[in-house]
Amino acid sequence: MELQIRNVSKTYTKGRGGEVQALKNVTLTIPNGMYGLLGPNGAGKSTLMRILATLQEPDEGSVHLGNIDVVNQPEQVRQTLGYLPQEFGVYPKARAEELLDHFAILKGFSQRKSRREVVGALLQKVNLWDVRHQKLGGYSGGMRQRFGVAVALLGNPKLLIVDEPTAGLDPAERVRFLNLLSELGENSVVILSTHIVEDVSELCTRMAIINKGEILHEAEPLEAMNALHGRIWQKVIAKNELAQLEREHTIISTKLLGGRTVVHVYSEETPAMFDPVQPDLEDVYFSVMADHMMAGRVADSQGGQQNDQQANEA
Amino acid sequence: MKLWKIFRFEFTYLVQRITTWLYGAVLLLFTLVMNLLISPGDGIYANNTFHITAITVIGGLIWLVIGAAIAGEAAARDVKMRMHPLTFTTPVTKRDYLGGRFLAAFAVNAILILSLPLGVLLSFYVPGLDGEALLPFRPWAYLSVYFLIALPNTFIATALQFGLAALSRQVMASYLASLLLALVAQVFAVATAKLFGNWDLVKLVDPVGVAGIIGSDLATWTASEKNTRLVTLDGLFLWNRVLWLSVAIGTLVLTYVRFKLATVVTDSWWSRFIWRTNVQDKTAAEPAVAKATGIRVPSVQRTFGVATYLRQTLRIAWISFTKLARHPVGLTGVGAIALVSAIFGYRIMTQFDIPMLPVTRQVLAYLTPPVGNLSTPWGIIPLMIIYFMGELVWQERDAGFSDLADAAPVPEWVFLTGKFLGLGLILIAWLVLMMAGGIAMQLGLDYDGLEIGLYLQTLFGLQLIDYLLFALLALVVHVVVNQKQIGHLVMLLVFSLMAFPSLFRVEHRLLIFGADPGWWYSDMRGFGPTLGPWLWFKVYWIAWTLLLAVGAGLLWARGREQRLKERLKVAQRRFSRSTAWITLLALGLILSLGSFIFYNTNVLNEYQSSADLAERKAEYERRYGQYRNTPQPQLKAIKLHVDIYPERQHVKIRAAYTLVNTSTLPIDSIHVGSVSGIAFSEVTFNRPAAAVRIDNELIHHIYALKQPLRPGDSLQLNFIVHYQQHGFGNSSTNTLVVKNGTYFTNYDLMPAIGYQPYRELTDAVIRKTYKLAARPVIPSLYDREARKKPASTDQATFEAIVSTVKGEVAVAPGVLLRTWTAGDRRYVHFKTDTSIGGEYAILSGKYRVQEKEWNGVSIRMYYHPDHALNIDRMLQSVKASMAYYTEQFGPYPYRHFTVIERAGNGGGASADASIIYYGEQYSLMNPDDGPDGFDLPYYILAHEVAHQWWGLSRLTPANVEGGGVLIEGLAVYSGMQVLEKAYGERHLRRYLTYLHSSYELPRSLASASLLQANEDFLYYRKGGLALYALSKYLGKEEVNGALGSLLQKHHSGALPLPTTLDLYQEIQQVTPDSLNYLLNDLFKKNMYWRLKTEKLAVAQTKAGQWQVTMNVQAQKVLIDSIGTEHEMPMNDWLEVGLYEKGADKPLYLQMHCIQSGKQTINVTVPRKPDRGGIDPNFLMIDLRLDDNMVQLEEE
Repeated sequence: MELQIRNVSKTYTKGRGGEVQALKNVTLTIPNGMYGLLGPNGAGKSTLMRILATLQEPDEGSVHLGNIDVVNQPEQVRQTLGYLPQEFGVYPKARAEELLDHFAILKGFSQRKSRREVVGALLQKVNLWDVRHQKLGGYSGGMRQRFGVAVALLGNPKLLIVDEPTAGLDPAERVRFLNLLSELGENSVVILSTHIVEDVSELCTRMAIINKGEILHEAEPLEAMNALHGRIWQKVIAKNELAQLEREHTIISTKLLGGRTVVHVYSEETPAMFDPVQPDLEDVYFSVMADHMMAGRVADSQGGQQNDQQANEA
Repeated sequence: MKLWKIFRFEFTYLVQRITTWLYGAVLLLFTLVMNLLISPGDGIYANNTFHITAITVIGGLIWLVIGAAIAGEAAARDVKMRMHPLTFTTPVTKRDYLGGRFLAAFAVNAILILSLPLGVLLSFYVPGLDGEALLPFRPWAYLSVYFLIALPNTFIATALQFGLAALSRQVMASYLASLLLALVAQVFAVATAKLFGNWDLVKLVDPVGVAGIIGSDLATWTASEKNTRLVTLDGLFLWNRVLWLSVAIGTLVLTYVRFKLATVVTDSWWSRFIWRTNVQDKTAAEPAVAKATGIRVPSVQRTFGVATYLRQTLRIAWISFTKLARHPVGLTGVGAIALVSAIFGYRIMTQFDIPMLPVTRQVLAYLTPPVGNLSTPWGIIPLMIIYFMGELVWQERDAGFSDLADAAPVPEWVFLTGKFLGLGLILIAWLVLMMAGGIAMQLGLDYDGLEIGLYLQTLFGLQLIDYLLFALLALVVHVVVNQKQIGHLVMLLVFSLMAFPSLFRVEHRLLIFGADPGWWYSDMRGFGPTLGPWLWFKVYWIAWTLLLAVGAGLLWARGREQRLKERLKVAQRRFSRSTAWITLLALGLILSLGSFIFYNTNVLNEYQSSADLAERKAEYERRYGQYRNTPQPQLKAIKLHVDIYPERQHVKIRAAYTLVNTSTLPIDSIHVGSVSGIAFSEVTFNRPAAAVRIDNELIHHIYALKQPLRPGDSLQLNFIVHYQQHGFGNSSTNTLVVKNGTYFTNYDLMPAIGYQPYRELTDAVIRKTYKLAARPVIPSLYDREARKKPASTDQATFEAIVSTVKGEVAVAPGVLLRTWTAGDRRYVHFKTDTSIGGEYAILSGKYRVQEKEWNGVSIRMYYHPDHALNIDRMLQSVKASMAYYTEQFGPYPYRHFTVIERAGNGGGASADASIIYYGEQYSLMNPDDGPDGFDLPYYILAHEVAHQWWGLSRLTPANVEGGGVLIEGLAVYSGMQVLEKAYGERHLRRYLTYLHSSYELPRSLASASLLQANEDFLYYRKGGLALYALSKYLGKEEVNGALGSLLQKHHSGALPLPTTLDLYQEIQQVTPDSLNYLLNDLFKKNMYWRLKTEKLAVAQTKAGQWQVTMNVQAQKVLIDSIGTEHEMPMNDWLEVGLYEKGADKPLYLQMHCIQSGKQTINVTVPRKPDRGGIDPNFLMIDLRLDDNMVQLEEE
């Protein structure tokens, strides 16, 4: 089974006549296994995920899961779909077992006996067996997230879409969660959208980086890191040197560390006074983003941040 | 000022929303539409204050929905949007936060509701609408309505809505507040008023004003008051404002105290309203160790097919049902009403305040009002359907897991059907509660003849279908509108269209959603032929809902594509082959059933809208009004051969009329017309005559006689009437000829001779629109020409041979000459001794018959075998009445008398000459005939027997003002005497209180005098009271003697016809000069007395007697035709009475001459009185009876 996304575009009309293009001509081919979709907030990840989950329709383009036309045959997709949205609520007064049972029925488990077995096994799998009689209103964020996973896993989906699942999970929860996912990646298409680089690097065999609705880069994480080998350099500088450095080099990331600033730059040659770094996926991500920014428009990162803030306020 | 900033932010936010403007537009539109739809009465200007007030108050009901959206948003939006962690943690005090939000909501609402008076004002000046005369613009009319009614209402409602939403943290909770105000308070107010018989309570309790203002004070305004009078802030209305403003302020204080600027985790939102110690919230602690689970989930083969979808549907239905059942008002609302009904069953199961046997049919009549009827407590059900349907449609989205559910492999129709079934389940639960309430009511009243089958059939067969249809409409509207608040609003508009279709000039039931021709159930007739037409209509509407449901399924909002444009796009794809088939099926059903129904209502039967009907009446007058005074022969004898076929709803009548020229001129043409529109055929005369006009449209035929009919000559007219119910009509299924319940009168089927003035339009405004000359509804007493005309000129003897099916008995007036059976038909032959006037009825049913004899009169009683409860009582009453009236007024004119139960659910009785008909409900009245009781059924029959003397074929008054006093007033007075004779003074006093009590109902004090009486109230109530007072002042014998003399001087139908002037003259003959003023006050004036005893004091004399001092106050006012009071000087004789403890017999009762104003009365009596005062027997027309007497103050 393979998921084929061809030239998918989606534009939102905002109030007062404005338009936002959430997806621009996205084309991806996603094989079985874990696939990471990495991008900043507002990059269009959730829109793409919702299109795959049949909750939205693209303006243009097509999506196929094997032989199924996702856009025009949503019913067929839903029969083999697992979806964990970025945000979801529950009936606070319902008990976990009840609500999971409810979803099991919605997912087509019509036999009472087998449904009970599946629900029980899933609750154990997501480690909610002991609290299955508690009301969901009293669940912690992680427990609720795992409940969502249980819902998504109902019916061994061939297509599993998890939208930013690890945001807000504590480290132990996150590990537990990722373990759950990786088990599933063996014979299903699992798409994990995230803005956390580690999620991808630890789990995914393939990945794509998306920003402002465009796929900037598609690769296998290991390959991508290898490709950057010898091109990422690091320097620890004082804060006031940053402006100077920015003019001279392609800075892909800056991190504040104990009052000093750690700067990563991309360079094919060895820059003076810099130390070589073993590139990790974060460097891949940042270099792609930086590359895109350079290519797309000449704008300073501060201006971008201001825009973001305005967007948040609005 | 933080409060100011919060206020400004919230206010701006609300004002910037498009919906807010939409709301304003809806209210404005409402006022315009109402101005178009409502036409003021005669003599009332378009911009009268009544209209301004009423529209503002009624528009306030619509605003309640709008205001709930505004206030709910302001109170709970932060929590709904999950923004509260941000807002609650800012350094804002509770006072600023709540205060700012509340004031903003109140301000927006106050502006919105301003659009009501403003819209009313504008609606008068919209170009194109002018042409009507307007009163000058009076700003105060609008301002007072706004500041006294609309604005306080807005404050009260906003406070409740805001408080409920803030405390429950749910925007939608504000709708509960609206529901509470609009309906619960309203229904509660009306119900308490009915229960305790005190209408003032409505004014006090009703917060909105529909019942308390419009239904109460405004209803009593005269035309001139409607033009100019304003609602003033005094009396109970003031207390109403004070009461509800305190409730509002109390709610705000409670909200302030109980509201927490914190995230609340609790199971029940109800707990936020009540004080409770905090319970520790328990969250399971998790081991912080990460480990892989390695648990295998069994792989289960899933199938997706009808079975699975069915399972899913049931699941969604169940979860929807449990959600609603757990809702705070989900089951409790209906349950509470059912419980209260059961407790107050003894007040509900009454007819004219007399307890009734709570038979199942009776209880069901209470439990099953039409869906659109808001005036019963069950009116809450459609409103709850609207509200709950919104909750269900939005269930997943409100809980935030719509993404999860929408991505599940569930077809849209499964969601749709599941939710519909969920609401269906709650409806069933409600009906079960209602049924339990009904049964409890019956058992509580010691009645055990429960008919469970009838309960099930009516509640779960008929009523459930109606509610389900309505629920599906609500579902479709919510799905299509896809905005909860607007969905509610749209649904309310649709509902008002269903509830008041005539207001929107829609009358054909094919066009009113869910409508049907109505069904009825009576013990005699069962459901009769009503279920068939009902079912046809319902299937037709089910087909519509199927189509609507298809539309809803296509437009079902799924995923993130929520805009109409996007949903329409998705709908195209969803439109599958099966959808197409269902659509075709639904359309086919709608077309075929619609045509079938239309064929029945408009082809087989004549369909007439009220406009058609008015036009028909107008046309009758235009075409034939010229013959109004053309002399016509009098109907002297009626001979009928009637064949009734109840099963086929068919009757055939062969009739022979003998007509006599009683005028002084020869008559050359005969007019024969049918009032009801039933055609007659095969008209023949026993002398040469030719038809000169055959009008089959209005059914008025004119025949010219070759030889004029000379004065005193007679002729015979023969014709045949065929009546056959074909199919069914648009409105209530015809009941003339029904199995075990045939009842029709001459007006229903038989033609009449001459021009019939009562076929004319009477309403002054409608007459004007049809350009007919103005005429009084009733001709003036002083119109000498009119005084020559009785209501009906017929003075006919009656003879009939009636046949019916074997199992039934046919009945007509007269003595039963013969009965026989031929084939499978049973025949009866009735003949009256003498003239019965012109009114009669023919009945057929499975009657049981009792025959008794009284002084040579054979009394025959026909009744439904199960309704034997009152037969003896009725017989007693008939005999006692006959005896008393014969003795007092003269002999009974016939040797036969018939009392017969008329199939159908009437509670009263009516009389024709020598026959009395009573409704099935009458037979269930179960009065207390002990000394403290009140035997109303006994009285009712005495009253109807009295009509054998007053009215019908005996005293035939001229058809002018006051005529009704001679018929009904005298019958009331006569019946009272029979009641008193049989049961004594206590029963009579109960009846007097009953007559007085209608003075307490909201009604205008401005009315005509008794001499010129023009309405039932004066005929029955004032007429009865005035004659009773006179009998106390002048003596019963004197008054009865005067009445007997009146009767003797006038022969039925002979000129001069009696009027109230003759009655007045007769009574004046027996009135001493000193009491002439009283006769004058009671008959010629619209006089009211205000009598009050302020203090009663006693002192014992040396001789052991008691010196009594009474401080009394008296006033007499004349109220003129526009409602202005004029105080009249008093020098009136009034009873002064003193009573001992626990005694009915007066210790002292004498007439005293009382002047206007305060005065002291001194009396010496042998024993110590306990209470006393003036007019203790309520002989005067006094609106407050409870202050006539006072209790002795104990020292």
